[in-house]
Amino acid sequence: MASRAKSWVEYRTPNWVQWCPGCGNYGILTAIYKAFAELGLDPARTVLVSGIGCSSRTPYYVNVSGVHTIHGRPIPVATGIKLANPELTVVVTSGDGDLLGIGAGHFVAVGRRNIDITIIMHDNAVYGLTKGQAGPTLPAWIQTKALTAPNIQDAVNPLLLAIASGFTFIARGYAYHTDKLKELIKAAIKHPGTALVDVLQPCPTYNNIMTAKWYEERIYYLDEEEPDYDPYINKPEDFKEKMPAILAKAVEWGDRIPLGIIMIDKTKEPFQRRLEKLVPGYLDMPPAKRPIDVDGKPIIDLLATFKDRVIET
Amino acid sequence: MAVDISLIIGGPQGGGIESAGQVAVRALALKGYDVYGVREYHSNIIGAHSYFNLRARDKVSRSVKLPVDAVVALDAESILTHMDDVKEGGILVYDEAAKAVKIDRIAPMARPLKQRIKAKLESMGYEASAAGALSYLSEVKKVKLVGIQIKSIVKQVAEETRRPLVSVSRAANTIGVATAFALLGVEAEKVMKAIEMFFAGKRRVIEPNIVAVRHAYKLVEENYGLADPLPDGPFKGRTRIVGTGNDFVAMGKVAGGLTVQTYYPITPAADEALYMEGHRLAQLTKEAAERLGMAKAPVIVFQTEDEISAINMAIGAALAGARASTTTSGPGLSLMNEAISMAVMMEVPVVITVWQRAGPSTGMATRVGQQDLLHSIFSGHGDAPKIVLASGDHEEAFYDAIKTLNWAEEYQTPVIHLLDKTIASSIKTLDPFDVSNVRISRGRFLTTASNDYVRYKLSDDGISPRAPVGVAKQLNTSLEHLEDGVATEDPVVREQMIEKRMKKMEKVLKDLPMEDKAVLHGDPDAKITILSWGSTKGPILDAMEALEAKGIRVNFLQVRLLSPFPAREVADVLAGSEKIISIEANAMDQLASIVKMYTGLDVHHRIRKVNGRTIHEHEVYNAILKVLETGSPLEVMRDGV
Ligand SMILES: Cc1ncc(C[n+]2csc(CCOP(=O)(O)OP(=O)(O)O)c2C)c(N)n1
Ligand code: SF4
Ligand SMILES: [Mg+2]
Repeated sequence: MASRAKSWVEYRTPNWVQWCPGCGNYGILTAIYKAFAELGLDPARTVLVSGIGCSSRTPYYVNVSGVHTIHGRPIPVATGIKLANPELTVVVTSGDGDLLGIGAGHFVAVGRRNIDITIIMHDNAVYGLTKGQAGPTLPAWIQTKALTAPNIQDAVNPLLLAIASGFTFIARGYAYHTDKLKELIKAAIKHPGTALVDVLQPCPTYNNIMTAKWYEERIYYLDEEEPDYDPYINKPEDFKEKMPAILAKAVEWGDRIPLGIIMIDKTKEPFQRRLEKLVPGYLDMPPAKRPIDVDGKPIIDLLATFKDRVIET
Repeated sequence: MAVDISLIIGGPQGGGIESAGQVAVRALALKGYDVYGVREYHSNIIGAHSYFNLRARDKVSRSVKLPVDAVVALDAESILTHMDDVKEGGILVYDEAAKAVKIDRIAPMARPLKQRIKAKLESMGYEASAAGALSYLSEVKKVKLVGIQIKSIVKQVAEETRRPLVSVSRAANTIGVATAFALLGVEAEKVMKAIEMFFAGKRRVIEPNIVAVRHAYKLVEENYGLADPLPDGPFKGRTRIVGTGNDFVAMGKVAGGLTVQTYYPITPAADEALYMEGHRLAQLTKEAAERLGMAKAPVIVFQTEDEISAINMAIGAALAGARASTTTSGPGLSLMNEAISMAVMMEVPVVITVWQRAGPSTGMATRVGQQDLLHSIFSGHGDAPKIVLASGDHEEAFYDAIKTLNWAEEYQTPVIHLLDKTIASSIKTLDPFDVSNVRISRGRFLTTASNDYVRYKLSDDGISPRAPVGVAKQLNTSLEHLEDGVATEDPVVREQMIEKRMKKMEKVLKDLPMEDKAVLHGDPDAKITILSWGSTKGPILDAMEALEAKGIRVNFLQVRLLSPFPAREVADVLAGSEKIISIEANAMDQLASIVKMYTGLDVHHRIRKVNGRTIHEHEVYNAILKVLETGSPLEVMRDGV
């Protein structure tokens, strides 16, 4: 993963960034540039995978490999890439609608696996690209600009869902605090399991309620204001002891919204190691790399491999 | 005389019927016959009626027929269900204890079936019970009734082997099969060897079953006399393989270099993935092991949260450079549609193995149907050209599994390998697959690339050099794009890219040999042509032989490549034909529709089967005869319970 630190400018692309002026996505993009630069990620061995939405345009703007998939499916595509080649750094950037609306099933499933991918959720509580409908993180009874009536569905709590699903790194950041956000993204990428960075992202065009001002009146950083907060689950017993405080932070919302690392669970084995146990040789010869032929000829001994189907009459 | 034995073994699901069938197949294979066996079962775990219909011949077996020589029916439901499946003068092996059971008391039996059987028995003056059916069989059909006291034999087996009764109770099925074989002329030692083979190493199961076989043969010897042993068949003394279509596709994929298979459980696809997972560390040939310095080839088989994930994960794996596929049935294909379109747009090589079952919707999940031809061809929104190949039998299924993996990479596009429940779960003996002439081709796959690599470089044939993610920095996208993968809505580039994807299909049609497009079986000069696809192949070929014996010459155009459609080749054959008869297991004559769409040619007669049961040789034979004799435009085949 990491090599020498680079200048973040190297991660920019010449493509026109097509977000609205003032969009929170710009801040997230800058944080991604800086995080990738400081980690010195090799552009050819790093993949950004996105779904569909304003936020999902990110891969065009970052000078690494990109896969712009379909709505709701970046997690399974990213999982397939990582499964086939565990040496790659795989990062998902997608919207709240993509990840927790249409793609929520995959969000839960990826937590259960603890595969080593980082998910950056551009959380603007609206469906930006389809012009501002309510997103899954929009609280009930709020009526943002494009809605014809107040939202009558409750918001899902991404942090709680991530905890319940088994994510082993869970953090929340804020789009305009690029340096703080960059640190969270770096930590998430370095974490060897499934990581979520839920980024509160103002959408000045459609979310006229949860604006930059609205957020900035409420957010605070755990590491600054509550330095004793301990997000680390180092051993199974820690769950009992530390979960009440962690859950309290995960549900805190309203007048005060905590940012920073909410939980890091070190008790769960990463997926790649689970697979290696089941399929010895997997890590040495992952699917993307293992030879499948010799000079265009099959290499499998069929009678030996499938001897349970052989009959000597 | 030619050997052609057919046998039905029926009983409640989950009661040992599956292993009895497997043992019977192996015993017949050990006789040196070629064996084909169809499994019919309910979507149920335990208790519903299921059965095997087996056929063994001294030449290739590839279909089943009715009525059969012998029926093994150890419960009342099986006796009643199959009373008309046994031929005149045939054999029925049954459990004496089942005799007293009245049809109304059989809870799992479907109401309409009960009504039909009841009506039939009562109309002939018989009681609607197992006993009534037995009288009917013996008096009207002159069937040899072989009643056995299963319970007392099982008890003896338990005593002799000093095992608890419950642990040997499943040997009942073995007793039934062995009794039938004793009467048909298959030696006891074949059955015993088959038991040892099938239950390999499980002494606890093998021992009571062997003792059960001994009892069955003794019983027949004492009461009926053992039949003279049948002559051994020509496959005797050979190494053979026996398996289902699911097994053979799994083998094909592994041989073809598959490294990632994703799936979400669904009948009749899951068994393919499960069989593969059980063999996830494939063994290399000695030469390959030496050349590559490895002994085992790992294959990752992964169960996902749903079919949407299954295909998207396979696509991800393929992007990273793995040979990847997923396996499913109609409902799963529905969920995969959006991603199939993405794979077309992103030019990702992925194989989707589709094992059709009877729809629409959940339909009859364990039953036969060829209803997803149009669904497969037209899967994916937008102009989404893809390859669809339908295998006709078990052997094709194996080699096609390898071919489709090659094509996916050569043409950088999704390939649907279309099969159905008949092939999925029926059992076939074959000579071992010969892969000496099989090639593995990855097309324009790059293992290194320069810094200015772009993923969608325009080319004359539409195919771009493909470096995986991880080898070259690149953009892949579901949006329309420039050569470098950057999204665009430019009208000129849009047209170029549409053309690029379509050109690949032209290349497919240009590259593929005739045998992968459509195969004309039988006399090319025959004026009557059967038009069909998929698993109808076996019964059609057998029916053709029977027709030929009657002096009726027909040929059979088996269409294999369904997308891109080989219109010219199909039209060439059909144009020379005076009568075109389609045969399909669907109500929409889906192949006939496609032929009309691409060639403008009309099918003159349609033969359909939509009741969810396998297509039998005799039905095809009868339906073709009827069509030729009466000129009827539509015949429906309705056999099988
Ligand atoms: C299957 C499917 N359904 C609907 C859409 C339309 N669609 C495009 S983006 C989007 C919502 C995007 O919301 P979010 O993921 O939160 O991203 P944002 O635009 O807010 O960044 C929807 C519904 C689609 N592309 N595909
Ligand atoms: S609609 Fe909202 S999220 Fe989308 S680009 Fe504009 S400001 Fe950003
Ligand atoms: Mg959103």
